[in-house]
Amino acid sequence: MNKPTGAVISAKSSTKKSIIDFLEKAMDKGVFDAVIVPMRVPAGDSFAYVLIKDKSLFKDAFPIPPVMFVQGAKAVSSVTRLGKGNMKIAALMRPCEIRATIELAKLGQTDLENMTLISMDCPGVLPTSDFLSDPEKGMKQFDEAAKNLDDKIMRPVCQICDKSSMMAGDLHIGTLGAKKDTFFVISNSQKGNDILDKLGISLKDNIDSWHAKVKNISEEKLKKRKKAHKDLKSEIGGLDNLLDAYNQCINCHNCMRVCPVCYCRLCYFDSDNVKHPSEDYLQMAESKGSIRFLPDTIFFQMGRMMHMSLSCVSCGACEDACPVSIPVAQIFSMISDETQGLFDYVSGRSLEEPLPLVAYKEEELHEMEDAND
Amino acid sequence: MTKETEKFEPRIVGFLCNWCSYAGADLAGTSKLKIPSSLTPIRVMCSSRIDPVLVTTAFLHGADGVLIAGCHPGDCHYDKGNYYARRRFAVLKKVIEGLGLESDRLRLSWVSASEGQRFAEVINEFNEKIKKMGPNPIKVKTSL
Repeated sequence: MNKPTGAVISAKSSTKKSIIDFLEKAMDKGVFDAVIVPMRVPAGDSFAYVLIKDKSLFKDAFPIPPVMFVQGAKAVSSVTRLGKGNMKIAALMRPCEIRATIELAKLGQTDLENMTLISMDCPGVLPTSDFLSDPEKGMKQFDEAAKNLDDKIMRPVCQICDKSSMMAGDLHIGTLGAKKDTFFVISNSQKGNDILDKLGISLKDNIDSWHAKVKNISEEKLKKRKKAHKDLKSEIGGLDNLLDAYNQCINCHNCMRVCPVCYCRLCYFDSDNVKHPSEDYLQMAESKGSIRFLPDTIFFQMGRMMHMSLSCVSCGACEDACPVSIPVAQIFSMISDETQGLFDYVSGRSLEEPLPLVAYKEEELHEMEDAND
Repeated sequence: MTKETEKFEPRIVGFLCNWCSYAGADLAGTSKLKIPSSLTPIRVMCSSRIDPVLVTTAFLHGADGVLIAGCHPGDCHYDKGNYYARRRFAVLKKVIEGLGLESDRLRLSWVSASEGQRFAEVINEFNEKIKKMGPNPIKVKTSL
């Protein structure tokens, strides 16, 4: 696909309402049979992904909620892990959730054939604990921050996210650079084109202002990201610093369980492979003097980096789930930028790009061979 | 201090592919070439079988060096396993390096079944380097 094209849609009351109208219209015309969208729970204090079949329930739908309790990719893969089914489903999510979904598709954990992925410009996500301490205040703060493009109250990885408007799915809803009471609908695939065609939306409008604004923000954020990673590296790099950074780890493996791309049914680190007879532990204790229990905290973290950093989308779900506030997502995003950089790979950028570990080039990485300086 | 380093005998774990490097090591042995006793060889069916986590296991349990050896590119018994191995090794090395740990303790080399001499050179060279680096500091970390 060349440079994506788009249409300007005018919002009747609010952008949110108009986006929902757009989805409703698509269901009316039979373009989608159901929609996966975040919804505010009846109590009003949290949000959940729902698969909506009954259009009347759209009134509670809430695109781009202030928090991410469940990473959307997990919702999508729950629906389609066992195959695509007959229904055409649209999922409206944040770009990092779409990217994780694409990674899962490459990992064989979801079937996207009957799925339409719709991303939106993302202002960031509030840390769950901040939001839960006062949901009403959180809502207001989030709205205000989103309006002013102020990311200071968002998750630390959101503050350094240079892909908050990345188009990886079929359609993208752009709010950046749009005139008052309008938003952009942008197509990123043939599937997207076909859908907009059926809805009678022609992709002829000028969306340069969106492209310009997005470019501007991502460049700025990329600079911030590089600096943050550099600072983090000097803070946690090296054996002693690293041990300090993970010292509080309680081995709960929550970070792995909430990770959208950690897909194994049985994690290696939960398996019997990492359980040893007591003689082994005694021997380790003897050679070191003592050994920490529960064991293997750093091992688990490093293992996850080796296994999953190539697919990490820096969504920050792991950090939110950490009960002892270890900056796992920041460390992970630092490492994954480096590992993905090895292969010029960006997780979730495109469905066609193969996962780095199932591809190779004959002439590459010669600096890794026989390195002995 | 110097004396201690002189006494230091490294512990090196070598993951050797069944078809090339293990046979190469075998040939080095039958040719009576000098192989340091620091090497603990582990035979694997292919270098691509080596999950970086296996290497990390050795590294975190105090191996002073880890060698991964497989067939030369283009000569893999399974056609392309060593190309995959090289990518996995790159990820392994990047993670270790990214965390500020000693990635120099890891080495990837290609040794064919007929290269007994080369195997001896690789392991001796690596052994000398690890000797210079000293013991893996992870060994004494009780909080690990």
